[in-house]
Amino acid sequence: MAKTYDYLFKLLLIGDSGVGKTSILFRFSEDAFNISFISTIGIDFKIRTIDLDGKKVKLQIWDTAGQERFRTITTAYYRGSMGIMLVYDVTNEKSFENIKNWIRNIEENASADVEKMILGNKCDLDAKRQVSKERGEQLAVEYQIKFVETSAKDSLNVEFAFYTLARDIKAKMEKKQEASNPPGGRTGAHQLRANEQQRKPTSWLSRCSVL
Amino acid sequence: MAAQNKVESGSEEMPATSTDPSTEQKDRLIAAVKKEVKQLMEEAVTRKFVHEESGGVTALCGAVEACLGQGLRRRALGLFKTSSTTALLHKIAKNCPEAALVSARVLAAEGAPATRSASGVERRPSAPRPPLNKRGSGSLLSQPPPQSKYLWIRIALFERQLAKIIEHLVNNASRYYEREALVADPDYGSILSSLLVGPCALEYSKAKAPACFWSDPPADELVQRHRMSAGTTTPPSVRRPILNFRRSLNASSDDGSTVTTGTANATASNAKDYVESLHQNSRATLLYGKNNVRVQPKDVEEPMAGYLSLHQTAAGLVIKWTPNQLMNGYAESEGIDKSQYRWHLVHVSACPHECILCSAAPCTVYRRRCAGSLCINCVYWAMSLQVCVWEVVYVHVHRSKLSDALILVGQDGVQRPPIHFPKGGHLLSFLSSLETGLLPHGQLDPPLWSQRGTGKVFGRGKVRRQPLPSLCESGETEEPDWEEVAGDYVFRIVNNAITDREAMRHSLLERVVQSPPRTPRRPLASTSTTSSDSSTMSVDFPPPGLNGHTALPAPNPIVEEVASIELVCSTMRRQIISRAFYGWLAYCRHLSTVRTHLSGLVNPNIITREGIETGLTEELWRSMMDNRGIVIDKDEVYRIVYYGGVQHDIRREVWPFLLGYYEFGSTAEERIEQDVAYRRQYETTMSEWLCVEAIVRQRDREATAASIARLTESSGKPRPEVNEPGEVFEDDCSVISDNPPIVSPEPSDNEQRKQESKPILSRAPSIDEVDNIEMDSEEKGKESSKVNGDTETETNDSRDVDSLNELDDDDEVYIKSVVENPDMRRESIAEIKRLAEGFVQKGEGRGLLCSVDSANVNLNGSDLKSSIDEYQPSTHQQHTSVIITNPSVDLAPSGSPASGGTTANVSPARSPLGVVREESQSAGASFDTLEPSDARPDNRSNCVSPASSNGGVYSNELVESFALNLHRIEKDVQRCDRNYPFFTDENLDKLRNIMCTYVWEHLETGYMQGMCDLVAPLLVIMKEEAVAHALFSRLMHRARDNFPSGQAMDAHFADMRSLIQILDCELYELMHAHGDYTHFYFCYRWFLLDFKRELVYQDVFSAWELIWVARHVASEHMVLFIALALLETYRDVILANAMDFTDIIKFFNEMAERHDASAVLSLARDLVLQVQTLIENK
Repeated sequence: MAKTYDYLFKLLLIGDSGVGKTSILFRFSEDAFNISFISTIGIDFKIRTIDLDGKKVKLQIWDTAGQERFRTITTAYYRGSMGIMLVYDVTNEKSFENIKNWIRNIEENASADVEKMILGNKCDLDAKRQVSKERGEQLAVEYQIKFVETSAKDSLNVEFAFYTLARDIKAKMEKKQEASNPPGGRTGAHQLRANEQQRKPTSWLSRCSVL
Repeated sequence: MAAQNKVESGSEEMPATSTDPSTEQKDRLIAAVKKEVKQLMEEAVTRKFVHEESGGVTALCGAVEACLGQGLRRRALGLFKTSSTTALLHKIAKNCPEAALVSARVLAAEGAPATRSASGVERRPSAPRPPLNKRGSGSLLSQPPPQSKYLWIRIALFERQLAKIIEHLVNNASRYYEREALVADPDYGSILSSLLVGPCALEYSKAKAPACFWSDPPADELVQRHRMSAGTTTPPSVRRPILNFRRSLNASSDDGSTVTTGTANATASNAKDYVESLHQNSRATLLYGKNNVRVQPKDVEEPMAGYLSLHQTAAGLVIKWTPNQLMNGYAESEGIDKSQYRWHLVHVSACPHECILCSAAPCTVYRRRCAGSLCINCVYWAMSLQVCVWEVVYVHVHRSKLSDALILVGQDGVQRPPIHFPKGGHLLSFLSSLETGLLPHGQLDPPLWSQRGTGKVFGRGKVRRQPLPSLCESGETEEPDWEEVAGDYVFRIVNNAITDREAMRHSLLERVVQSPPRTPRRPLASTSTTSSDSSTMSVDFPPPGLNGHTALPAPNPIVEEVASIELVCSTMRRQIISRAFYGWLAYCRHLSTVRTHLSGLVNPNIITREGIETGLTEELWRSMMDNRGIVIDKDEVYRIVYYGGVQHDIRREVWPFLLGYYEFGSTAEERIEQDVAYRRQYETTMSEWLCVEAIVRQRDREATAASIARLTESSGKPRPEVNEPGEVFEDDCSVISDNPPIVSPEPSDNEQRKQESKPILSRAPSIDEVDNIEMDSEEKGKESSKVNGDTETETNDSRDVDSLNELDDDDEVYIKSVVENPDMRRESIAEIKRLAEGFVQKGEGRGLLCSVDSANVNLNGSDLKSSIDEYQPSTHQQHTSVIITNPSVDLAPSGSPASGGTTANVSPARSPLGVVREESQSAGASFDTLEPSDARPDNRSNCVSPASSNGGVYSNELVESFALNLHRIEKDVQRCDRNYPFFTDENLDKLRNIMCTYVWEHLETGYMQGMCDLVAPLLVIMKEEAVAHALFSRLMHRARDNFPSGQAMDAHFADMRSLIQILDCELYELMHAHGDYTHFYFCYRWFLLDFKRELVYQDVFSAWELIWVARHVASEHMVLFIALALLETYRDVILANAMDFTDIIKFFNEMAERHDASAVLSLARDLVLQVQTLIENK
């Protein structure tokens, strides 16, 4: 089949079961919401091609089973993925706490430079909220990961989240290409810049290199 | 691109010279149009738009053109151009405005410079018309671009004028048509025009819609496309022989791909490839090509001109001759070509296509030139020649004054139609190309260009060595008769590969028999071939087809040469033999491995279907049961169910047998007893976990409270540590164990207090946030009537206090959270809150606790008051623990409203609970045993169940792990098949109870996602909790291993791999090519859930029955065969789209619940049989 895109990004949705991974994916790929989603068994994926700064980017988004028990299967998909969405449920404290575990999981299984993003889903259910936005933000700062609260039901920030993640991946990818293309001199300068950044503890990049 | 439409219709307008009665012909013409219209509309529906270049459009245009061409008064109208209908259009343009518009467009399009690219893709998107080509503008060899055909009809269709134009024609038919013409016919004419109204209303797109461009086609569309392109659905059965001998054995000789001449009847989908194959391309090298070579096919009076070509392909040399009619009139036909590597293999019987203009008749008919003009396309196909040179033994050359004729004689001795070359050396150049092409594996015998002296040798008999006359510069022109124009020559085509084998065979024989037959024979060809390779052997052992009139042995070989050749030959022989042997050995090893492996998958003895028409009907079932309800012949039951399934109404009765819950020898009474006993046991178990559940609920509330408290109070300041115990990641129980067992350090204190403060009834904990309200009210009604099992369960009740106490260690956070409580338990507890308000005030500082409890209190009616009073003392407790215990305290007086049990559970409360008592009870705890146990029904389920109060001491570990499972179960139960009407809240509760009970019994493995899916169909059939639980437990014996904790899944994948390898090597090759999906993860869900998610409920039932009984009938691993059947069902789609792992996973996920289950299941049975036969035949 003819290649109809400029980039193909493989993304992965992980998080505790029931936090709304499938709903987020469904919202993003079909722009619809279905209250009666059944639990995901094994793996599935959906595709959506988006236009990003004039480039057609095909997003292949893998949806995984949330239960830890299925980790052996789902981690197989960590490796190939270029971006990972960590999803928790703002009405479920535990799912938020588990984000740390999921991050550890990523560190163990995914490639080191994978782009990550934390989503606090179900933010429409404000009345049931257990995890404040501030806590989510704080966690995000702690891990140097972008964060946004979403609602698959109200279609809030879902698009934004995927576009952001895709844009980050694209930027990183282009940067890499840039770095690999020009010869010696330029690379040196580049590294210098990287070193500068490493001095700043809060820098996202430094964090990334540690990961 | 996979194409939509198969049939390239009667692609050229034919003079209407049919011999058929005219009405019959009209019928056919109209039927063809109808069919095309239908397909086009179908395509429009399934794909949302129709591509202008779609084959369907072309086919429709062709059909319309045929209608219009029929009976047209060409002569009278002076229409002699190639496309007389186009001329007709221009003619009527004067009278018909629609025609005028189209006519103008056609002229414009024809006049437009042909800037098109070959693919026709390069189009101005805004342009209303594609740059169309004048028909026939292409050279003989280049394929005319598709759009050029039926130009005006196309344009009229896209302009939506076609129906009107035809209507005009019909109305004025007398002017343009003969009286018997279709258009002139009042009925057919109007039918034709009205048929076209639909297609004229469609949207035609020039370029692919962006949406389509951007996204991969959904599974549905793939299947649809396949269905349309295949015309008839291809049988899912395996098309290549199941074990591929060709590959491993000698490749050159048994070329099944060889094509015989006259029978060559190309399918339309092959047609495009066919024409492409005539050119130089990647697969074949064009060695020779000559147009206007005349061949006289069978049934044709005089030779027809055509294009002769010689191709070098991987499979060998192929001679092709294609009638000019095909070369000129051929129009594109898109089709999924599934047989690319067999493109020159044209099998008549497999041709699924119909001649478009004679629809309903399969193409084979036209081999005999069935329907005259209309099917001419097919006829031409039938005439075309394709000859694999290895198939040919002799080449006869007959030269006469008029022309040079060449006749190919096959191994079967059959002559191909003579090929007449024009004069002027063409024959010679063809032969020399042929000879060149044969090298290095073969040769012409005698060689075309031979050395001088040897020529004589071949001149023997009527066979003449042919140093072709004038053109042959090296020719042995001394002998004048060779110069003669006329003459007959015979060449033999020698295939070294064949002869090598022959040689080998002979040499083997020799060794055994020790007969030296070779020496007397003539090694003549050695003289002609300069190389001393084994090709010389060919001469020694002529192929079997050889007969008298070949060149016969030449005398006088040179002795030394013979010796050296001998040596070479023996070496070669040895090599060949050893290679063949090792090949064979490897193959045998492979087969035996496979057989050993596969033999475990199926039962050795084949149980036949005979006599089974229906499945297990009620009547049949009753008849198999004796008067005591004993079913004796279980094997027969299995067999019937295996082949026919169970009638839905009696599934409830039969399933317990099939799953082995009921014994086949049991009587009806025994079964009832068994049920009762099981139910009792089930209830007992349930009561156990319900206790724990209550604790869990309480904790949850606390936790919720805590987090909400934190959220509201200290949302700004982060609180790093959460008060929840244990960093439990999901259900990872191991982590939990870090937590110390619970018993709180100061239990005695609390106990003491409680004691004073009254009986403990931890009703409160069991209140569930979700549905407690309605439950509560329900119980309220019941409580008076219900008798509490007060005295019975007393022993344990105090323990819950202990277990609850443990929560207290956590500290004041709880208190705080509790304080906040009223605010947050919004929805579910809204009512409680309202009720509670009054108490809150009373309760003072502990108000919120009250608020929680108040609901219970409220339920307890009159007791309430007192309980609150009793409450008072406890308010003064110093410890936070009080908060926990309080709820139970205040409820206690209510005594045991108990057992509001509406469901099966009668009084689990009464059964002494086998509660885990890990800790020795603290001193204080024991006295509590005297308290009346609440025997409260758990609110959550309708089952009567003791609430946590009768719980024993549960270790923290236990509670935690159950809590995790419980939460997960609830999450999954709530979203289990909500679309299926059966799953009302009530039934979901049953589901939850079954699930919890099972998990409680198997806490070490715990709940795993997917279990709900397995329970659901059982519950749907059995309706009743306890039995469904029993069956589920049975089911899990096998299914458990499929879950991540087991090993079965990997075994399934491995088995699938070998099964596919054996049964469908084509598919296996594809999978192998995409190395990434030999791991078969796309089958994961299939195996885990026994296809529950792949099929709709009704089909799940059948599939499950099949799986259960198959182990007694045919195979213990029926799931494998069902999986294989699913794959095989779509194998063509998979192959045609060359799906990789992601494609296939997407495809099957999208196809879920859309499969034709009965076909899949019966295919699965067939596959079992196939494997059984394979093993049996070893």
